Amino acid sequence: MTPPALLPTRRDREALFVGVDAGSSATKCVVIDVAGTLLSQSVVASGFDYAVAAEQALDAALRGIVPSLGGAFWNAPADPLGATGGCRDFPGTTGAKSISAAVAAACRGDEDEAVSALRADIARCVATGYGRANVRFAQSAVTEITCHARGAREWYPQVRAIIDVGGQDTKVIRINARGKLVDYRMNAKCAAGTGTFLESIALKLGVPLRTLDDLALTSTGRTVVNSYCTVFAGTEIIERIKNGEPRQDIALGLFRSIATRVGEMVGARDGAVAATGGVVAHCRAMVKVLEEVLGASVLLPPLPQQAGAYGAALLAREAQWDDVSEDPGAGRRMPGRSACHECSSQG
Amino acid sequence: MAGGTKRIEIQSQQRLKSLMRDYFLDLDAAAKDPARRVAWCTSVGPCEILVALGFATYFPENHGALLGAKRVSHHYIPHAVGAGYCAESCSYTTADIGAALRKYSPLQEAYGIDGPPRPDVLCYNTNQCREVQDWFQFFGKHHESPVLGICPPRYLGSVSVAHIAFVRTQLQQLVADIESRFHVKLDPAKLQEVVALSSRASALWRRVLDTARSSPSPITFWDGLIHMAPVILMRGSRVAIEYYEELLREMQGRVESGIGAVPAERFRLYWEGMPVWPRVRELSEKCFDLKVSVVASTYCNSWAFEEYDGGDPLEWMARTSTEIFINRDEVFKQSFLLEMRERFAIDGFVFHNARTCPNNTNSRFGLAQRLRDEHELPVLVVDGDLSDGRFFSTAQTMTNLEAFVEQLAELRTPSRACVTGGGKP
Repeated sequence: MTPPALLPTRRDREALFVGVDAGSSATKCVVIDVAGTLLSQSVVASGFDYAVAAEQALDAALRGIVPSLGGAFWNAPADPLGATGGCRDFPGTTGAKSISAAVAAACRGDEDEAVSALRADIARCVATGYGRANVRFAQSAVTEITCHARGAREWYPQVRAIIDVGGQDTKVIRINARGKLVDYRMNAKCAAGTGTFLESIALKLGVPLRTLDDLALTSTGRTVVNSYCTVFAGTEIIERIKNGEPRQDIALGLFRSIATRVGEMVGARDGAVAATGGVVAHCRAMVKVLEEVLGASVLLPPLPQQAGAYGAALLAREAQWDDVSEDPGAGRRMPGRSACHECSSQG
Repeated sequence: MAGGTKRIEIQSQQRLKSLMRDYFLDLDAAAKDPARRVAWCTSVGPCEILVALGFATYFPENHGALLGAKRVSHHYIPHAVGAGYCAESCSYTTADIGAALRKYSPLQEAYGIDGPPRPDVLCYNTNQCREVQDWFQFFGKHHESPVLGICPPRYLGSVSVAHIAFVRTQLQQLVADIESRFHVKLDPAKLQEVVALSSRASALWRRVLDTARSSPSPITFWDGLIHMAPVILMRGSRVAIEYYEELLREMQGRVESGIGAVPAERFRLYWEGMPVWPRVRELSEKCFDLKVSVVASTYCNSWAFEEYDGGDPLEWMARTSTEIFINRDEVFKQSFLLEMRERFAIDGFVFHNARTCPNNTNSRFGLAQRLRDEHELPVLVVDGDLSDGRFFSTAQTMTNLEAFVEQLAELRTPSRACVTGGGKP
């Protein structure tokens, strides 16, 4: 396969910014505009080839924008939280003029051409996640630690700790009142405490992950699966089944096992906590036990799984901002953008 | 390679290669010569006594590191496990034992010799860990050679006169044991001469490491791992002194010319703990790409001893081997690291949590956290191992390092991080 060319860089006010989080299980893509508004997102399986998955994720995210570019552009339903991609009106609405090629193509009903035109509008892309080096169309790569922190902070400026429970690892990221990354911890080289742990146990029990989550939510038990090792946890579960422990208690015990590991990494808590990543996006039980272990409420962003990609897109936009003498979004103030209450800087 | 500027090789490395070859060929010759004797020694141990008594000295720890650097430890550790050693005990020990059981040594292909020389005696010092005692006991039995050693008091805060006297007494007993077993007599003047030479090489090595106080640093921890060989293997010899004089000249020249090991040095890090021998190259290249200079380390500094003042050589040996970082309490270690931070203008600390080396891992009792919390120092803890690559995740560690650099960059730059809100879907 011929590697696609790098995306062109644009500095005008109609530019789009893209974040791609090439994770161990899923590749996520988020598209934002110059004002930082989330226009569309997608999630695809990472599979065997991160480069291909990244292309698919970008394509899906751009296609999610197209419906609102057509005749119904001004009244398109806002659906940025759709599970497979979506969009809403562009902010500031300089309208069809700002994305004329894409709108024209969309009005003609040529989705491929519209996607191609939108692609030309991409000013910058930042890749993150374990496969970040394989995202060929990205101009730069930033670790998922920084990206998750950036994404979560955009949703919750008050947040001081971000718990990211991903497929391959779990991270606890701390930021200070000024939004700076001050510390982070990753689980040791072991699947215990990660999404892979849950997937592995679900597979062993012959139930989908969603069923495990549904079961766990009905439990009021105090079971904790104690083993640090995924293999040993499997053995421990068999022992618990043999002893007649209710299935729902065992299921919740699995989530509690992860939450306990996370609790160790969080240590002393100082300020609001948010959770991101695929596991909290798909398993409500995970959030429930995290709150139980931490003894505090946990903020769950609108798109927990896409927090890294969203952060990457925001960083792409900020990098472009660095490259030009003025803020390209200055002409249309960002909704909700304000002075920081915790320092003297003005937004 | 990224980073913008090319790496400039250290010229003295050519001489080092030849020195290493001479050293191992001489060891091999000594083992085969009935008129000569070979002693196996621990790296921060009583080797000066053996050198003064005319023994050729060999260091199994170096062999453990070579097995790690050759990335073959995991092939041989299972053989040691089969012989009853836990896979999570010291991987230098288990790799070395496994390799001996399979009659393999990296020295065979590197120098065309049979492998480690057969010992006439093995002498350990447990100032680093108890594992060396068990390691040497295995090889003592394997080669049917006597195993002798000293056991100093461990984990000291301040080192007292009584501590030194206790260790000195053990060294004296060690001398008496060797004299009696091999019917030799230690010449005090010869020991003084050897200790003076050893100390001189160590002092020069310290001066080499000190050149890293310049920015850009002319030498990094990764270079130090190569160039530290003579200060361990060739202690008490003139060639070690000559080598470090040459290396010091080269490093001073680099400082004067502004030549950096990482030319576009952005950040200066401290490496605490053992090297990850199987991944030294990748880590070094990653740091180079990130424009990070690892300018100081506990490990390379472990052989930078206090200078010998011409007094009692046994007392100097007792003091220098007992005062080493690894043998001290957490309070001492913390103050040492803070001193190094000032001395080398360190931006952040990387602690290596070596799975099979608890003694040389200092992130397990809160030290890393204290540096972070009490002194607001950026600290990163990476999981790995000194020799067994199976305990190391390349992807996770590289992400950790990149994120650490992103953290350092954020902390250094006043940014627009305060812009909040907006862009909410």
